[in-house]
Amino acid sequence: MENVARKPGTVTPAGAPKRGPLSFWERIYVVEAARGVWITTVHFCRNMWRHTLHLVGLAKDKQAAVTVQYPEELRYVPPRSRTRHRIVRREDGSPRCVGCMMCETICPARCIYIVAEEDPDPNIEKRPKRFDIDLGMCVFCGFCVEACPEDAIRMDTQMVDLAAYSRNGMILTLDQLLAGEPAAPREATNALGERVHG
Amino acid sequence: MPKLTIDGREVEVEQGTTLIEAARRLDIHIPHYCYHRGLSIAGNCRMCLVEVEGAPKMMIACHTQAADGMVVHTDNDKCREFRASILEFILVNHPLDCPVCDQAGECKLQDYYMEHGAAGSRLDEDKVKKRAKAKQIGPNIMLDTERCILCSRCVRFTDEITHTHELGITERADHSEITLADGAWLDNRYAGCVVDICPVGALTDRDFRFKCRVWYLTAVDSICTGCGRGCNIAIHVNRDRPHKAGGARVMRYKPRENPEVNQWWMCDEGRYTYKQIDHDRLTEATVEGRTATVEEALDATGAALRKAGDAVGVLVATTATNEELYLARALFAGALGGHAAYLAPPQGEADDLLILADKAPNTRGAQEILGEQAADPVAWVKEKGVKAVVVVGEAELTGLKAEVDHVAVIATHPGKATEQAHVVLPGSVHAEAEGSFTNLAGRVQRIRVAVPPIGGAVETWRLLMELGDRLGHPFDFAFEDDIFAALADQLAPFAGLSHESLGRRGAPLGSGTTQPAEVA
Amino acid sequence: MWIDVAIKVGLAMVMMLIVINIAGIHSWVERKQSAVIQDRWGANRAGFTFRAPLLRWLNPVMRPIIYLGLLQPLADLMKLVAKENWSPVGGMKWLHASAPFFYLLFAFVGFSAIPFGDTLHVAGRDISLQVAHLNVGFVFIFAMAGLGVYGIVLSGVSSNNNYAFLGAVRAASQMISYEVTLGATVIGIVMVYGSLDLQEIVRGQGALLWGWLPKWGVFVQPLGCILFFTAALAETKRIPFDLPEGESEIIGYFTEYSGTKFGMFMLADFVETVMVAALTTTLFFGGWQFPYLHASGFVFPWGAQVAVGHYGVVAIQVISFLIKVVLFCWLLMTIRWTLPRFRYDQLMDLGWKRMLPVSLANIAVTGLVILLIEAL
Ligand code: SF4
Ligand code: SF4
Ligand code: SF4
Ligand code: SF4
Ligand code: FES
Repeated sequence: MENVARKPGTVTPAGAPKRGPLSFWERIYVVEAARGVWITTVHFCRNMWRHTLHLVGLAKDKQAAVTVQYPEELRYVPPRSRTRHRIVRREDGSPRCVGCMMCETICPARCIYIVAEEDPDPNIEKRPKRFDIDLGMCVFCGFCVEACPEDAIRMDTQMVDLAAYSRNGMILTLDQLLAGEPAAPREATNALGERVHG
Repeated sequence: MPKLTIDGREVEVEQGTTLIEAARRLDIHIPHYCYHRGLSIAGNCRMCLVEVEGAPKMMIACHTQAADGMVVHTDNDKCREFRASILEFILVNHPLDCPVCDQAGECKLQDYYMEHGAAGSRLDEDKVKKRAKAKQIGPNIMLDTERCILCSRCVRFTDEITHTHELGITERADHSEITLADGAWLDNRYAGCVVDICPVGALTDRDFRFKCRVWYLTAVDSICTGCGRGCNIAIHVNRDRPHKAGGARVMRYKPRENPEVNQWWMCDEGRYTYKQIDHDRLTEATVEGRTATVEEALDATGAALRKAGDAVGVLVATTATNEELYLARALFAGALGGHAAYLAPPQGEADDLLILADKAPNTRGAQEILGEQAADPVAWVKEKGVKAVVVVGEAELTGLKAEVDHVAVIATHPGKATEQAHVVLPGSVHAEAEGSFTNLAGRVQRIRVAVPPIGGAVETWRLLMELGDRLGHPFDFAFEDDIFAALADQLAPFAGLSHESLGRRGAPLGSGTTQPAEVA
Repeated sequence: MWIDVAIKVGLAMVMMLIVINIAGIHSWVERKQSAVIQDRWGANRAGFTFRAPLLRWLNPVMRPIIYLGLLQPLADLMKLVAKENWSPVGGMKWLHASAPFFYLLFAFVGFSAIPFGDTLHVAGRDISLQVAHLNVGFVFIFAMAGLGVYGIVLSGVSSNNNYAFLGAVRAASQMISYEVTLGATVIGIVMVYGSLDLQEIVRGQGALLWGWLPKWGVFVQPLGCILFFTAALAETKRIPFDLPEGESEIIGYFTEYSGTKFGMFMLADFVETVMVAALTTTLFFGGWQFPYLHASGFVFPWGAQVAVGHYGVVAIQVISFLIKVVLFCWLLMTIRWTLPRFRYDQLMDLGWKRMLPVSLANIAVTGLVILLIEAL
């Protein structure tokens, strides 16, 4: 096998531990391979043991698997996470959005589709007639929120479980966007729906 | 002739030239609002203040005449400071409307603010509210007096260009606002131009309002097809966002400056002809009323023309480009030994500014290239003994079908011509092909591709070339400028001209053979 | 005469049963074992619940089955079988369809030479617990493994896909390279036990060294054992030697396969794994031998004896063989989930420049030692 060790002093990727040349035992590989197999075996045995204990109701505090069993278990969503969009409403319930198309312009995924129209109130002047966001294309960058001069679009519904049976189903219309409400950050829960910390 | 120094560079100008124009010669742009080269000088916005050495105060560049030995600074600290102050002053009562303002993106306030202002507002008072916010003042125009900076360009336009005097400024000081004259309605034939010249979003076009944002648009140089004047325009197309305005590809026309033709203006009638580009177009070929592929339709016409031998003719409408006219002539009158004539252009009203009675863009080109007009197509066909005829464009052809064995129409819209046709071929409008028009004054001007031919339509010149192929007279032109080159080669008035030499502003017929006048 | 045929068929059935089951369970083991190794849960969703009132009581029984993902292989199978029988446009349809059969066939046939127990005396007959008693046993196995390359090459060639073709070429050169080492390492074993017959080799491993150490291949040929195991691993084309297929990124010879045909490649893969486990067991770990178990029962080095009846002995032998095979399968899986893939130049380097010389040296040393022992 090639001696792939870097010479001392050569550039290593940031954060990578500096390594000298491989020793003889490392180079014949067999020992290192055996060490690797040992590590995996230890993991296997430890986790198997814990799984078995869990089955009989013991050692519940020691995790055997670190994965979260969605949808029975939910992960904590930090409050500032960018989640599904909503359009903020004025006091009278009409959209605060004035159809300026800033969000549509900035959107790197080009997934916002706005058609504007004249608002009967000349002091508002412009309003969206159609405002669709294609969540199937959205990259959740939040640029639209940053760009909005009216603070009319926000991503604070804490809705992250977005799915539909068709591509068109992923398109949010103005009505759906207006129906969104800001929500408290989602807590992590275990399979029984109990709150957990993590 | 006075010789002066602007920003350290010397320039010699004619007596009476203003500083702003002298600076222009040196490609120095002096910010301005009220100054417009097509209008009288008002000197009210003060944005153009420059420093003239020896003068006790800052001078407005738009009104100060150049004098011998003047030393002018347009971009030193003092000028910039003054500009920022003037801008701050102008913005005192200006609303924060950019999100809803159609001008955003092409607004001089925004541009100069980013360049010279960009300071936080120091205004603690409430802004003065004006009376008219989003108020309609004409069939196509909306006025927002809050956004108006009172440059009076629009007032001067209605006074000096159209002489209709609809607009005026009423009230005083910071309550001044643009008002319609009593009982007036801004409905003159050039009203759209006030939107173009308004440096801010105070005057907006109701037709364009809220359709999209100006930065979505791509501008393509072209020529208005509304009448024989051939006003220079830019076609603004929306290429990337088909959800806007119900999928319309062309969003608006804007006039383009050409001192030889339309100066800075265009009429409203022409301005809104853009709607024809997407409206009710022919998008597929038909043979005997049945939908067919373009190939099948061409084959059918090709066969009919072959059968007719030299009893063939072509009738070209004056909406066709010089290139299309030339192809029609070369194929029918030349190679096939048949006949070629142009159809009478539709007539309408004229006025003393731009609008001409001849409502077609290329009547002069047709006269030059085909020479013969078929005032009554049916009579013409009878007289020439034509058995198979190709019609390019729209025309009144009632009864034509009865006279000949085959009528093929290359058209863009369904109409009287297509009703009379055995074969209909969907052709291109001016926004969909390269080419050139010759206006009534004999100026040859280019049009360019702004959008691809709609649906199944094909560029008209390509259809004519395909017909040539099917009739055993293939043309070997790869592009439209090759056709123009052949045209220039064969017709004396066009001699020496080429698409390249026409440039953005065109050239008069016959000018290709003389030395081009020195470009100022 | 007929009874002989019936016995052979019976033996073949038993072998087949062993192999198919171990291989089939592999797809579940692979999922679950990797999950446990990687601190995950693994498949735990495939399943169904009964709605009919009469069958509802079964649901609690289903729970653990679903939880353990035991129905996952079934779901996989259903998916594979239900998929469209597709062959690539422009490919050779029949070759494309038959390639997985070749591959699977040759993978299976090799097992006929593997002994899974000593001679069974029943009703006056001596039945050697081996499907085909060949005195060139493992030459046969290698021949079959070599033929397996055809299945792969055919799949690559008939796919009308350059990536598949390149994958097949990689597979062919890899298998040929490592067969050399494989052969060379086994020569040491042949020299020690003096036979090519696998049954004889296993019997030879029943002897004791110094009166207490079973004379298993691994003890007399430790280097050969490691080399053999490595080379055999390379023969299975599984991680870390999975360059021919490189499922996750480099695209291999069965790129153009889907559905049942793809499933056959998968199965053949697992069968080969079992094959490697069985061969390693047979050649280096005493095959069906159980330490200190003789025909009459246990005879321990310290003199104690436990008598076991003949059937008991045979049963212990077969079970001992099975347990060893399963343990090696487990080891192979663990290696598969431990080591990263080699680079192709490293692979060739390892095969030709490291393992082959060492295995040749091993033969020489073995010969020398045997001569020395004989001379003494
Ligand atoms: S989050 Fe980003 S990608 Fe999604 S709609 Fe907003 S701007 Fe577009
Ligand atoms: S940026 Fe805000 S106001 Fe403008 S269109 Fe988007 S949501 Fe509406
Ligand atoms: S006129 Fe210009 S600065 Fe004023 S609101 Fe409109 S875009 Fe903004
Ligand atoms: S409406 Fe426009 S053009 Fe007219 S005075 Fe106001 S800013 Fe100037
Ligand atoms: S441009 Fe000179 S004062 Fe307005």
